Amino acid sequence: MFAFGTWLPVFQFRGHQGAVRGLTASTDGRILVSCGTDCTVRLWNVPLATVTDSDDSSDNSVKPLAVYVLVIPLLLKYDVLRHFVSFYYKPNYSSPFFRAVDHQWNGDLFATAGAQVDIWDHNRSQPVNSFEWGKDTVISVRFNPGEPNVLATSARMNKCSKPCKLPGEVSRAEQAMSWETAYGHRTKTNSIAWNPMEPMNFTAANEDCSCYSYDARKLDEARCVHKDHVSAVMDIDYSPTGREFVTGSYDRTVRIFQFNAGHSREVYHTKRMQSCDGSYVISGSDDTNLRIWKAKASEQLGVLLPRERRNQEYLEAVKNRYKHLPEVKRIVRHRHLPKPIYKASALRRIMTEAERKKEERRRAHSAPGSMPRVPLRKKRIIKEIE
Amino acid sequence: MWVCPNCQEAKLGYRRYCRRRVPLKPESACALSLLLSFFTTEMAETKRKTRDYNNRQGNKKRKVSSFKTLKSKSEKNNNDGERRKRTGPRLPNALRKELEHMGRTNRSNSDDEEIDSDDANDVYEYEEAIPEEESMKNRRFDPVENFEYELPKEFKDENVASEDDDDDSDGEDDGSREYQEGDEADGSRHARMLQDITGLPVEAFEGKKRKNDVVLSEAYPESEYNPSRDVLNGDGRISIQDLVDPLHGKSGFSKLRKSMHRMEKKSTPILAPLPKADREKLERKVTYEQSKKDITKWEPLVKRNREAPTLYFDEDVDLGFSTIGAIASEFEPRTEFEKKISALVNDNEVLEAHKKDGARLLELNKISVEDVKDHQDRLAKMRTLLFRHEMKAKRIKKIKSKTYHRLLKKDGLKAAVAEMEMNPEAAKELAMKQEFKRAEERLTLKHKNSSKWAKRILKRGLDVQDEGTRAAIAEQLHQHALLTRKMKSMKDNSSSDDSSDEDYGDDISDSSDQDRASKLLEKAKEKTLGVINEDGEVPKSGVLSLPFMVRGLQKRKETADEEAKLALEEYESSLKQLEGKRVIENVKKGTASGRRIFGAAKKHVEDSSNKIKVDNYYGSSDSEDNLEAKEDIDVDRSNNFKDEINFDPDLLREESEIGHNSFFKSLEDIVKDAGPKTTYEVAIFAADSWKKANNERSKCEKVADVNMKNSSKVDKPVLHDHDIEDVEDGSDSDSEGQMVDGILSSGTKPTYELPSQADLIRRAFAGDDVEDDFEKDKEQVLNEENPEPEKPVLVPGWGQWTNIQQKNGLPSWMLQEHDNARKKREEALKKRKDAHLKHVIISEKLDKKAEKLHTKTLPYPYTSKEVFEQSIRMPIGPEFNPVTTIGALNRPEVVKKAGVIIKPIKFEDVNPHERGEDHKRSGQKKKKSTGGSIKRNTNKIKVK
Repeated sequence: MFAFGTWLPVFQFRGHQGAVRGLTASTDGRILVSCGTDCTVRLWNVPLATVTDSDDSSDNSVKPLAVYVLVIPLLLKYDVLRHFVSFYYKPNYSSPFFRAVDHQWNGDLFATAGAQVDIWDHNRSQPVNSFEWGKDTVISVRFNPGEPNVLATSARMNKCSKPCKLPGEVSRAEQAMSWETAYGHRTKTNSIAWNPMEPMNFTAANEDCSCYSYDARKLDEARCVHKDHVSAVMDIDYSPTGREFVTGSYDRTVRIFQFNAGHSREVYHTKRMQSCDGSYVISGSDDTNLRIWKAKASEQLGVLLPRERRNQEYLEAVKNRYKHLPEVKRIVRHRHLPKPIYKASALRRIMTEAERKKEERRRAHSAPGSMPRVPLRKKRIIKEIE
Repeated sequence: MWVCPNCQEAKLGYRRYCRRRVPLKPESACALSLLLSFFTTEMAETKRKTRDYNNRQGNKKRKVSSFKTLKSKSEKNNNDGERRKRTGPRLPNALRKELEHMGRTNRSNSDDEEIDSDDANDVYEYEEAIPEEESMKNRRFDPVENFEYELPKEFKDENVASEDDDDDSDGEDDGSREYQEGDEADGSRHARMLQDITGLPVEAFEGKKRKNDVVLSEAYPESEYNPSRDVLNGDGRISIQDLVDPLHGKSGFSKLRKSMHRMEKKSTPILAPLPKADREKLERKVTYEQSKKDITKWEPLVKRNREAPTLYFDEDVDLGFSTIGAIASEFEPRTEFEKKISALVNDNEVLEAHKKDGARLLELNKISVEDVKDHQDRLAKMRTLLFRHEMKAKRIKKIKSKTYHRLLKKDGLKAAVAEMEMNPEAAKELAMKQEFKRAEERLTLKHKNSSKWAKRILKRGLDVQDEGTRAAIAEQLHQHALLTRKMKSMKDNSSSDDSSDEDYGDDISDSSDQDRASKLLEKAKEKTLGVINEDGEVPKSGVLSLPFMVRGLQKRKETADEEAKLALEEYESSLKQLEGKRVIENVKKGTASGRRIFGAAKKHVEDSSNKIKVDNYYGSSDSEDNLEAKEDIDVDRSNNFKDEINFDPDLLREESEIGHNSFFKSLEDIVKDAGPKTTYEVAIFAADSWKKANNERSKCEKVADVNMKNSSKVDKPVLHDHDIEDVEDGSDSDSEGQMVDGILSSGTKPTYELPSQADLIRRAFAGDDVEDDFEKDKEQVLNEENPEPEKPVLVPGWGQWTNIQQKNGLPSWMLQEHDNARKKREEALKKRKDAHLKHVIISEKLDKKAEKLHTKTLPYPYTSKEVFEQSIRMPIGPEFNPVTTIGALNRPEVVKKAGVIIKPIKFEDVNPHERGEDHKRSGQKKKKSTGGSIKRNTNKIKVK
């Protein structure tokens, strides 16, 4: 575990025998849940500000951790050794390994995803509840922060049958039953995130380079399609303000989207990078590094005096007001991208354009009405499964 | 009928089990039954029961029931196992024995139909060889002597009702079910229990026992929790009726019975449960619907947040006291030093001394040697600091960098300018400096491209120079022009002022009035002549050198010349008259004369001016005003002398910049600063001409028009006072003056009128031919934007052979082309927006600079152009808006505080229709509450 703003790990938790696939922290930041390919879920006590044997971190550097853990729960990574404590859960059936874990907001429950979705309690060694949806493997699971009893999962595409269904299901944890509904999606949904300020809305990160925002009540149509990535979107998380979210993609970029915008506001890139989270954005990558980005790249860090703050607010407002003027727009939207990504996006544009043209021509040559226009928001969805 | 490999295996297992089971314990017996039931349920979907015991005959012996299947209710009753051929697999001996035994018991217990049906008739029906272990062919198996196991006496049996019972007795009370469960094994026991519970005699239950035809469809594996059907059937079953009967006659009984009837009528057979997948699907659907409904409750809240211009995530973190006083009041000395200080501060003695008069403080204030030393040390320190500062300054002074010094100079200049604005003395000094600079410029002509560098550049030609050099040259020239022009204007003003001042001073002091008048006239003449003579000095550079300016100047000059000539004539005539008059006056010198009057007037003027100088401290303006006043007098005089002279303002202006203008100025002054000045001005008039005072005043008023009215009215009494004073002062000359003045004043008439505004404007722009200019401009613009097509030029040898060219002139296609182009141009001109607007030029040229400020398309959230334009119309900066609105205008969409954890949304009731004030209230409410609260930006709403 790392303290925010320090280079070296503060704590190290050792115990997993296989790769760790999921990690989450409870709301108060005292308990850490991790799961992995060794078919175990482990619960860790996070030692707070009582570091004895790590010489690098004094008490001062640990304290802020307690604060930031909450804001950026998924930032926490761990490697080796020391303060691991307490429980050890092992399900009594031999299941394929766990793929994801998420903790309930302000509660004692956490959910793991693997062959099925299990709901666990801190104080019990057996799952409180488990849900199954067909035989699909569940890839990711997320609790709804606003409505803590609702969780959403996304599952792997059914491989054998061609008109495949990929259920992203929504299930209710607390009751004995689950409410799950699924929308079949043509491609795999890698991750899901709820909007913390709008409990009915969630966004799914999809393999087809885009994210789809859904209203949980109307799953037959996405509310917004967020495009810009040029490769599969691997992870997604909402900003606590609910106004924007950040996505990490296989194309080695991290992008920040407005919650209702079709295109990204900001893009960060580096070699190798995959997933992310937070109000600062923290991304973990294949090269075993965590990176911390500012959510607003040009924002000034540190304490702002009121006058300075006012001035910056004014400048920001002016920028916002005139962002539509061509010159301002050019500057605001300009981002320097690595060549491959830039080219890939250009290629994607060409491809989509060609597709569109072809469809137009087909439509022109077919009987009127025989090829109805399907909006992009619906296009990728096969059907809603109950 | 049923072929199941499982079953065989099971049997095999059972056999092995049997072999080993000596002596069979009750638990294992139980397990056996379990095992058997397990097989059967696995085998088919049919239901099966194991009857454990039949205790009614008092047979305490434990028996294990054989397999049995229940196909249907109808089938059950007519099955007769005996008639059927046994074709099933061979049962183990033990089992068979038991079955036989059971059959016997059942037959003997013929009253029990249910059990009959349960008889071991439906056992497996195919042939099977005798198992090896029984045929004793194989020594592998242990011999078992006794297959039957007898339970010890003390063992009791217990039965638990299965869940299935609920199926037939649907609406039954829970109580009854419990009842059944607890009590079926033994009739008597059951009856006893019933008796215990209900308090009714045993007979009450006897008749009902077999009413209950139990049809059980069992979905559960048999276990102690799901007892077999035959355990439940018959014996101890209680119907609802049983339970209801005792309630007879109590309140609510009829109601209960009615509902029971309804239930009985409605009761329909239970459908078989759906497959698991379907069931789950349904469950999901229901929960999903439910959750949908649940989650919809967030809608108004989310909507409100989305519509809010600003979301607030800065919770009020309790910072404690906010004022310094409050913080200080809480202060408690902790360290040694603090304690010492507080002891001193809060010392009673000191406090008291302080409260009284402080004299005692001196006594208290004894300085010790250490203190003095401290003080000295501090001083030394300060001195060192000072010294260091000095050293630093020295170093800075030594810096040779030109850039540094240039910057330093710039800063100094800036400071000087700032100081000039503040300090008049400094301003004067600076003006002097400027003057010096100008003089220097005149002397050296430093900036007139006279330097070697400039000369060289000019020699090589400006066109070949690069941009920077050209700019530098232009800059130089500009500076020169600036310096010289300023100089000129300054000099003109100052010199003319000076000269006039001096002149008038001279006039006033030395010469008599008449002399002065003549002198004045002469001077005017001189000036007019000067004006006439001075011609053709057209400026060669600057704005005045522009052609239209030159034209205007010339025109004006012409008119001025004419006027000047006229004026000259007049001057001459008036001079002659004056001469004539002087002669007359000289004659009349002994008695009363105008001269005396003038003298008196003069004296009075001086007196009054003196007085004024004493009285009101208007400083510099005084003398000026005096002069003006005298001028006025002169003007009056000239008026007197020549009644028919009309004072043309232009003429007057030409005559001198002294007289009329300054007169106007004085009047303006009067109007401007009312009060004392006015009175003084008028007083001068009064002093000048005694009896004419009223006349004068009326004239003055007339001239000053409405502007003066108020002030003069106010001043009237004051004015009278002055009059009286003056009268007293110059009493001796009173009588003489009267006459002459009377004559004089009779001649004066208010001939001057202020020109109208239009007149003035016309005069001001006399030389400009604006309309023509405009037309030309417009034509130029049109030509620029829609250029005229080039005239076709005959180029010999091009297009055609020269001989043909010579013969035919221009080829027809060229002409046509030209014609077309011309037509096109005309069309374009007609289409222009300003085609029918005579006085307007609307440029249709695309302005690249303006282009920057336009969007190509309407930006996304806006639906109409007007709205978008409106939205960016008003500036939002602090320069354009009051401080109170700035915050609201510039507030970002999300306001958050660093380090404050933003929690997810919390539910609260929001009325979706509430607006305005309600919002405000809710916002405040939220501000109080903690936790991820979002407040509506009330300020902004209010402002809008």
